[in-house]
Amino acid sequence: MADVSLKGEQRVFMTGNEVCAWAAVAAKADIMYGYPITPQNEIMHYWTRLAPKYGKRFLQTEDEISAGFTTLGGVISGRKAFTATAGPGNVLMQESAGMAEMMRLPIVYIIQQRGGPSTATVIYAQQETTLTTFGGNGEGHRIVYSTATHQELFDYTIKAFNAAWTYRFPTFVLGDGYQAKMREPLTIYDPEEKGIKLVKPEPLLGNTEKPDRQIQHLRNTYNTEDELYEVVMKNQRDWDKMAEEIVEWDAKGCEDAEAIIVTHGIVSRAALTAYDQLRAQGKKVGYFRPITVRPFPGKQLKDAIKGAKKLLVAESAYGQLVKLVQHEIFGSTIEIVPMLRPGVGITTEEILEEYNKL
Amino acid sequence: MAKVFKVAIAGEGGQGVQSIAEILAEAANEEGKNALYIPNFGVEQRGGVSIAFVQVSDGDIGAPKFQKADILIPVSPRAVSRTKMYAGKDTVYIYDNSLIQEGEVKDNIVGLQYFDVTPPCPTAEHPNADLPQDLIAGEPKTCSFTKPGPGIDSAEIPEVKKIVAIPANDIAKNELHPRVFNIIILGAVIAATEVLPMDSIKKALETKLGDKFKKNPELRDMNFKALERGYQLIKNAM
Repeated sequence: MADVSLKGEQRVFMTGNEVCAWAAVAAKADIMYGYPITPQNEIMHYWTRLAPKYGKRFLQTEDEISAGFTTLGGVISGRKAFTATAGPGNVLMQESAGMAEMMRLPIVYIIQQRGGPSTATVIYAQQETTLTTFGGNGEGHRIVYSTATHQELFDYTIKAFNAAWTYRFPTFVLGDGYQAKMREPLTIYDPEEKGIKLVKPEPLLGNTEKPDRQIQHLRNTYNTEDELYEVVMKNQRDWDKMAEEIVEWDAKGCEDAEAIIVTHGIVSRAALTAYDQLRAQGKKVGYFRPITVRPFPGKQLKDAIKGAKKLLVAESAYGQLVKLVQHEIFGSTIEIVPMLRPGVGITTEEILEEYNKL
Repeated sequence: MAKVFKVAIAGEGGQGVQSIAEILAEAANEEGKNALYIPNFGVEQRGGVSIAFVQVSDGDIGAPKFQKADILIPVSPRAVSRTKMYAGKDTVYIYDNSLIQEGEVKDNIVGLQYFDVTPPCPTAEHPNADLPQDLIAGEPKTCSFTKPGPGIDSAEIPEVKKIVAIPANDIAKNELHPRVFNIIILGAVIAATEVLPMDSIKKALETKLGDKFKKNPELRDMNFKALERGYQLIKNAM
């Protein structure tokens, strides 16, 4: 692993998994709980190498269900705790994510998507988009950042801890196998040196330092329908309020665009290159990318597509992003042209080819 | 927009193609360029063709993989057939036409998905007793290529802009050392891309192997010689 530190700004060249481990250190995470699954293994590997140097902890559990719930335990006791997983492991962790939604626990998950369903491939996909945004038995009261570059993996992992501990919703960094395994340059830094405030964790239960504390009663079980309704509706209101504050997106050239390419995550790199090349040829093309896929920048997308005739939606899944887009722009008559490649990467050349068919 | 150089290198697990790619990408990064390196990896625990994708540019780099390589380098017969799809009309195609076969991949090879972990030398029956055992501790090792084989079927070579055949395996075995096979290929990549000065690669090798070089200066000579040899092979052929 690269011999670097978080003193000052450092340009480094490393894999995405290593980036995640460094970002967790930079965010002052206290402990990782985990269970190995490719392609996220090295987040654990690097974390276990970094942990002793920075006074951090690690616990390997017997499976992902346990990893999810032990992480919740860490969070409840006031530790910045996180876990990382992929594919079928992400499925198993949804139960803990649901509990976090119900009990408002600030857990951070790093997801490196692999092919699905089931074991499928250990390589790459965007097939965990629906699962990660709406995987619980509830309303999807969570935050999901979909990253595209190593710099973003670093920045948004730090941001994920802050968002989780500010709003008390489970927060996901949604990466993928390509991001996990590839190497590219980025700048790592100590966020506090840059004036980024790190939200301090605090015990949600059992704060022994404050014996006169208010009694806390965190519940995930309710006896009556009305009781549950009140709680879920309050969470919904909190989530709606938060959504406006944290929603993030990127848009280019949509003002005069006839066709807009919509992508998220690593596919937006191919889309951005295609956009640049098409614009250089004088084509009226636009680029739109949700960075938070939950909450989704629906208003912003609606504004962006006002003058356009077609949306080219490209994803490494069969219609998971399309479904989010359709829901958000309901009522619009714009034509959606899907480019659906479940479990395989999408290159710039392929997007250009599809664009030229429009 | 700045040009993006797209390089794909493919070989058997243990031939060291991922190391070549990594050194190339790291050297480009050190030169202040943008570089992106991604290995292909799968669920297989042993054997198989391993492909490394590297892109180097002065500008931004888009998707991690690409359709057609500017420079495509298959270094084993199986890699030739496995990488046909990455060859296009603008591709410079460099392949190894040695008659000495790549090492056999035995059961104890570590899975490609663990490319960060040192695989044991694939020729398990002959564990390279004659070689420095820990050439690079913690880094993938190349194996000893000893068996004569049929080489590459020329009918398998795709139509491209330019084809260059280099007997890197034979040269490594006969003139230098089997272990520096991948460094010859690295020299060839530098000559073919012309995006990085030779010195930057030497610096990257020095960073990576500096401790070993200090202990055994001969290693440095051998690696640099292999690098130059690969470089000249391409320069003479282009």
